[in-house]
Amino acid sequence: MSILATKDTHVVIQGGVAGVNAARRMAEFRYMIKQPLNVSAFVYPPDAGKTNEIICGTELIMIPIYKTVAEATANHPEINTSLVYIGADRAYAGTMEALNDPHIKTVSMITEGVPEKDAKLLGKHARKLGKTFNGPSSIGVVSAGECRLGVIGGAFDNLVACKLYRPGSFGVITKSGGLSNEIIWICSQFADGITTAIGIGGDAYPGTDYVSYLEMFENDPQTKAVVIVGEMGGDLEERAAEWYGAKKRRIKLLAVVSGFCQESLPKGMKFGHAGAKEGLKGEGSARAKSEALKKSGAIVPDTFGALGPAIKATHEELLKSGQVKPIPDLAASDMPRLPKTVQESMKEGEVLVTPLIRSTISDDRGDEPLYQGYPASELINNGYDIPHVIGLLWDNRLVSKQEAEIIKRIIMLSADHGPCVSGALTTIIAACAGIGLSQAVAAGMIMIGPRFGGAVTDAGRWFKYAIDNKLSVDDFLVYMKKNVGPVPGIGHRVKSLKNPDKRVKELVGYVKSLNMATPHLDFALEVEKVTAVKKDNLILNVDGTMAAVLVDIGFPVDSLNGFFILSRTIGMIGHWTDQKRQGSRLIRLFDYLVNYASPKRREVPPLK
Amino acid sequence: MAKVLEGPGMGLLRKWGISTPNYAVVTSSDEFDQLSQVNDWLQKSKLVVKAHEALGSRFKLGLVKVGLDLTAAKAAVREMLGKELETLTIKQVIVSEAVDHKEEYYAAAKSTRDGVDLLVATCGGIEVESNWDKVKHVSIETGETLSDSALSSLVKDAGFSGDTASKMAEFLKKLYACFDNEDAQYVEVNPVVLSGQGELVALDAVTLLDGDAKFRHKDWTFPFAAEFGRAYTKNEEEVMAVDAKVKGSVKLIEIPGGNIAMLPAGGGASVYYSDAVVARGGKLANYAEYSGDPPDWAVEVLTEKVCSLPGIKHIIVGGAIANFTDVKKTFGGIINAFRKAKAEGKLQGVKIWVRRGGPNELQGLAAMRALQDEGFDIQVFDRKTPLTDIVDMAMAAK
Repeated sequence: MSILATKDTHVVIQGGVAGVNAARRMAEFRYMIKQPLNVSAFVYPPDAGKTNEIICGTELIMIPIYKTVAEATANHPEINTSLVYIGADRAYAGTMEALNDPHIKTVSMITEGVPEKDAKLLGKHARKLGKTFNGPSSIGVVSAGECRLGVIGGAFDNLVACKLYRPGSFGVITKSGGLSNEIIWICSQFADGITTAIGIGGDAYPGTDYVSYLEMFENDPQTKAVVIVGEMGGDLEERAAEWYGAKKRRIKLLAVVSGFCQESLPKGMKFGHAGAKEGLKGEGSARAKSEALKKSGAIVPDTFGALGPAIKATHEELLKSGQVKPIPDLAASDMPRLPKTVQESMKEGEVLVTPLIRSTISDDRGDEPLYQGYPASELINNGYDIPHVIGLLWDNRLVSKQEAEIIKRIIMLSADHGPCVSGALTTIIAACAGIGLSQAVAAGMIMIGPRFGGAVTDAGRWFKYAIDNKLSVDDFLVYMKKNVGPVPGIGHRVKSLKNPDKRVKELVGYVKSLNMATPHLDFALEVEKVTAVKKDNLILNVDGTMAAVLVDIGFPVDSLNGFFILSRTIGMIGHWTDQKRQGSRLIRLFDYLVNYASPKRREVPPLK
Repeated sequence: MAKVLEGPGMGLLRKWGISTPNYAVVTSSDEFDQLSQVNDWLQKSKLVVKAHEALGSRFKLGLVKVGLDLTAAKAAVREMLGKELETLTIKQVIVSEAVDHKEEYYAAAKSTRDGVDLLVATCGGIEVESNWDKVKHVSIETGETLSDSALSSLVKDAGFSGDTASKMAEFLKKLYACFDNEDAQYVEVNPVVLSGQGELVALDAVTLLDGDAKFRHKDWTFPFAAEFGRAYTKNEEEVMAVDAKVKGSVKLIEIPGGNIAMLPAGGGASVYYSDAVVARGGKLANYAEYSGDPPDWAVEVLTEKVCSLPGIKHIIVGGAIANFTDVKKTFGGIINAFRKAKAEGKLQGVKIWVRRGGPNELQGLAAMRALQDEGFDIQVFDRKTPLTDIVDMAMAAK
């Protein structure tokens, strides 16, 4: 048996993230005692109609979210308890809603910082309705082996360590959340553990006081003794003393009260919870409370530290008188265990998982990215440059200084080609239509293909094919004409032999000045000699030149378009920023730039 | 609880129709000069000048001057502003109009568990202290309204009669309206005086508001004052600023002259730790507390302040077994601040005592224990050591 939170408790949680977290903790508890989750619903208007996902052992349970308490209880008539996790400014209305619902008998409020007046009104309203309003600022309620309301009891390991999987003989009532857990632990180590532990909250005027719960414990045969952890301020401890001393009680009462330090502190200095304050005339001091409790017959140790031995002595007395029987401890193998997550199991070497993807280039699990195992900062500090990073990430190798220089020149030469080319123009049109940077650049990027900038990979592929197969220029051209079509990397829209492409000249000149073998570039230049004779503009273009050079320095064919995409991104970002800076307006094509070749206006025939 | 200084307290009484003397809160002599040129009452009436700070025993400190004319008031304002006291500098004074009166009464409203007690007496000022039996009260239950009949029998019971009785009943009605609507916890008007014009006037007020209700009082633009007869220190204010920003809470109160520094977790446990220090004859250097799983940086700020308390010999990093405060994370903040303090040459000869349990306790305690290798004088205990035993050990160690 237990009080307040029992095996018959069914819960609606009012609130958002904190409420979901509480539900997860409650699910852990239910898993420990091998019972189904007792949270039936959430009430949280912003997410009404959705569900919250609660892990319960190895299962994921979907708990519905409603707009109102009434909807929740109509759909889940078993609900009899509400936990309030609503912000202080809306907690009053939410709690009223729960108290006024006929299904709900108990409301426990975790919310802190609730105005005193609101708490008093809620307490009074609950008493009028014969219901229990626990809190505000309550850590929750836990009944060993039955039910947990809120996060009281802490992490799963602590629940097990405190033997909360089965009932003991001690009831606990505290104002402090942290100390409730401490007492639960002490009861499990110095005695046989708890029946129910209740946090009533540390506010000045909690909705329910010690006496209400002492009455309940008195009527719960499983509970043999109750531990109260009190504080200076208010008169709740005095009322408890009065109740205990009024007549012979079945339960034993143990109590400690904090706040003795107040006697030697500067006047008016106030510590601890909101409720922990002496009256203006010194009433409600720790000493007055302790005295009152002692007088009532309660066991009142002088310090918190002496509480453990006092609980132990009480338990031994109960054993001796036969009121409680020793409870054998569970064997270590029978202790409840939470299922492990995949991560935990892997860490402990218990499972093998087949990875979904494989990456051979980089690793960012540490404090900085590793490119092929080299920390980025060390590359920087050792004088490496962007082309080296490209080499590491595109070709899994550190390129030489000379190769890096070639890559750098390629990027610089192809970074931009003015506003008129397909890519830049598209980016500009998008920018003028108010499209964001990443989308506008992506729009320009889409233009890169067989006719614009996207011929690098294909050019590289076929030059490489020719060299690998030792084809002569003539054989190559025949092969291409028969099987492929125009040679990628040959030909230009405006440039020609007479009007050569300066970028090509520049790149070829530089590469030829180096002491390196350039079989692909040499072959491409030989091809140009033949094609340019046939037609003036069938020259080796910049795509073809880049491709031949990059294949010469060993880059894989599939990465080659990347050099154009990378370089041209610099230009496209420039065009987008340029239009933004100018505050450019929407572009619309002039009619005179369109040849309207469609039929003239005519009669629409009747629909047949 | 949030104390409000006299100026804003008077303002709230006025808002609810209670007469107060004319008053002005000033921050400079120039401002007062300007005010005196445009306010008739400052030129014609006898004036009272008081330091407008959270200070106890202002009379004793010479920070209340009565019966002044404008010239004397100007001198008093000049003298008080900028005066350095032990814990604060006076930045504001309140100048109010003296009210001619014969009779002084007492009226107050205070929050109780069941509602509100409304108190009244025919004696006021300092006399009420020695005549507490003359103070009569009526209790208004939570959610109930105050009836006129209850009011009139209260004032009669207290010994008011005739015209004054009905005036006092009216006064108390307004006081209750102010109390109830302003989410007050305690309002004491002492004295209430009967002026020459036959009007009840609130001469002085102690006002405590419910700080938690600030969200529904947009006109509470005034700052709350410290409640313990001194202004907040810079460190306390900095910790309060952090507290206002974060989830969970961090709290600090400095107690000059102590040598046992406190850095415990939990609003409940922290007081038991303080009790244990006092019970063993130790002198607290501060009160501190963190709870509700605050971010590590907030705990770090709190720890920095605790490490800079002068003359400390021990730091008590205590705590119960947390429900949901992450021990590893919050200890991370404490450890960062410890390291920083040590690098700044603080913590020399300071012994640190740790006891804690809760989520991730093993990792948190291990991280603390590892500080021994960095040269910290630190002892670390887990949940198996009773809560306040580290205080016993610390006190035995000196």
